[in-house]
Amino acid sequence: MYIENIDVLDGRGCGQCSLPFLEKRGMKNNRFVALVLIPSFLFLLIFVVFPVVYGLGISFYDYNPANSQNPFTGLENYVRLIHDEVFWLAVKNTVVFCVAAVTGNIIITLFLAQIISVLPSRWMKTMFRTILFIPCIAPMVGTSMVWKYGIFGTDGGALNKIAGLFGFAPKNWFLTTWPMVLLIIVYTLWADIGYNVVLFTAGIEGVPKEFDEAAAIDGAGPLRRFLWIRLPLMGRTFAFVAIMTMANYFQMFAQFRVFVANGGRNYSAMVLTNYVYKMSFDSFDMGYASAVAAALFVLVFIVAMVQNKMMRSDWTYE
Amino acid sequence: MQGKKESENKKSKYRKSGYRKSGYRKYHYVIIAFLSAFSALMMYPMIWMFLTSFKSNAEIRTNRTKFLPVEWTVEGYLSAFERAPIAGWFVNSMFVTICVTAAVILTSTLIGFIFAKYEFKGRKLLFMLLLATMMVPPQVTMIPRYLMIQKMHLFNTRWALIVPGLISAFSIYLARQFIADIPDSLCEAAKIDGAGPLRIYWHVVLPNIKPAIGSIGIFTAMMHWNDYLNPLLMLNDMEKMTLPLGLVIFDSQRSTDLSATMAAATLIMLPMIIIFLLFQKQFIKGMTMSGIK
Repeated sequence: MYIENIDVLDGRGCGQCSLPFLEKRGMKNNRFVALVLIPSFLFLLIFVVFPVVYGLGISFYDYNPANSQNPFTGLENYVRLIHDEVFWLAVKNTVVFCVAAVTGNIIITLFLAQIISVLPSRWMKTMFRTILFIPCIAPMVGTSMVWKYGIFGTDGGALNKIAGLFGFAPKNWFLTTWPMVLLIIVYTLWADIGYNVVLFTAGIEGVPKEFDEAAAIDGAGPLRRFLWIRLPLMGRTFAFVAIMTMANYFQMFAQFRVFVANGGRNYSAMVLTNYVYKMSFDSFDMGYASAVAAALFVLVFIVAMVQNKMMRSDWTYE
Repeated sequence: MQGKKESENKKSKYRKSGYRKSGYRKYHYVIIAFLSAFSALMMYPMIWMFLTSFKSNAEIRTNRTKFLPVEWTVEGYLSAFERAPIAGWFVNSMFVTICVTAAVILTSTLIGFIFAKYEFKGRKLLFMLLLATMMVPPQVTMIPRYLMIQKMHLFNTRWALIVPGLISAFSIYLARQFIADIPDSLCEAAKIDGAGPLRIYWHVVLPNIKPAIGSIGIFTAMMHWNDYLNPLLMLNDMEKMTLPLGLVIFDSQRSTDLSATMAAATLIMLPMIIIFLLFQKQFIKGMTMSGIK
């Protein structure tokens, strides 16, 4: 679990990293605190902080664990990065994938959560939420495998069957450029909407009903009530979901590995995570892969900053 | 004039049947029909997987238009068990998931307890540092972690998956939020009665955050049961693999045996789906809590 924007965790959804909820005073027992925290933070140092520094270090070398000599090359890996067309393609694809998939995900899940929340009976709500959640339970590699053969498969895949009804010849979708990217987005939406539907349903049900009633009395229709009353009042849930989903989608890996392990036709579906993996574990060019990983880190950081600026919903309905 | 009339109309409707039904009642059937169709679409890949696993390979090749198997057969399952150590993968997955989940529950509640109830120098800074570790995507530290695990001689063992997962910043954060809600006076009272920190933790804190423990447990277990990247990096031998990685390797080795691949996929997903359906109330609650806290 990782998250790119810690502000969302500070109880207000955004603002400065002041963490005001930490001001409270409590018990004292320095020995106990030290006994637990020193090993814990040592652990974090070893498994999180050190790898970041280590990775940055490797990116200045021509590093291959199988070689006996790994010469220091300075900024050479980064120079190569700037001139690497596949890298820039991967950056573009990653951003396009994330923006398209997150937008699609949020629109669809908000819509589903809203219509589920107005269903008349509890068991119906539970049933639909449960069904939508089932794909989230299964491992993504597993469901990707099912889609690879059952939906996108050239022979007998559902997609080609439907295309066949309209008279199109069966197509090998894995050899296409943008249609494959689109299909990966559709798969990702399928695999992941359940989680956000659950969160949004909880968010919608958490909005005090008085506001909605007042608007209804004033004559606002369902759509207007949803857009102008509930949605703004769900600010915190919305910010949380948007940031978590974005963070999550930046590290999507399994489906790219299963569908287009080599990046697809003309690298049209190559994303940064897959590129790092490919460079380090298929070609064992770990120095260069570390430079790509550093770029991924920077990109994630920029996105976190932009989101931080955009998601300013400090007010609540309490 | 028209507008006023309409609003009066709404008002009386509101009084009669409650606001919830006022705007949506006439759409209920449409909504239910839509959701049913959508759910069927969502379930299609899973049902396809399940049904295909009971078809023979010959049937998959020749009878492409049929959805249901013409002849139900467990050939695929037999072939999957014969050709892949699925039982072993299952045990490995189970072992890793249980170890990590138990450890994470313990560490996150303990560390969360300290951050929620204790006063010490540098508390704020350490908590910020903790939250900051969540900002590092796993792919960024992938290469160094791989090299480190090799140097620690954990490569190609289950411990390569367990050890780095022992502490989870997100779970600590979640536990801290719940423990902070326990009244301070409760801990103080226990302290005055002579309870040490571990007794307060065990007898006061833990019984009061059972829902949070469930939430953390579900979250962690699901993440590690379904994890693909770490096993892919850290494991080499067929019999040491976990289920998700095993499935991919299995598929790449015999992609023509679709019936067996889908049988393996079914075996991997079914236990988790059954557990989910049995405990779906707790699952959904746990998921929601991780989101709103």
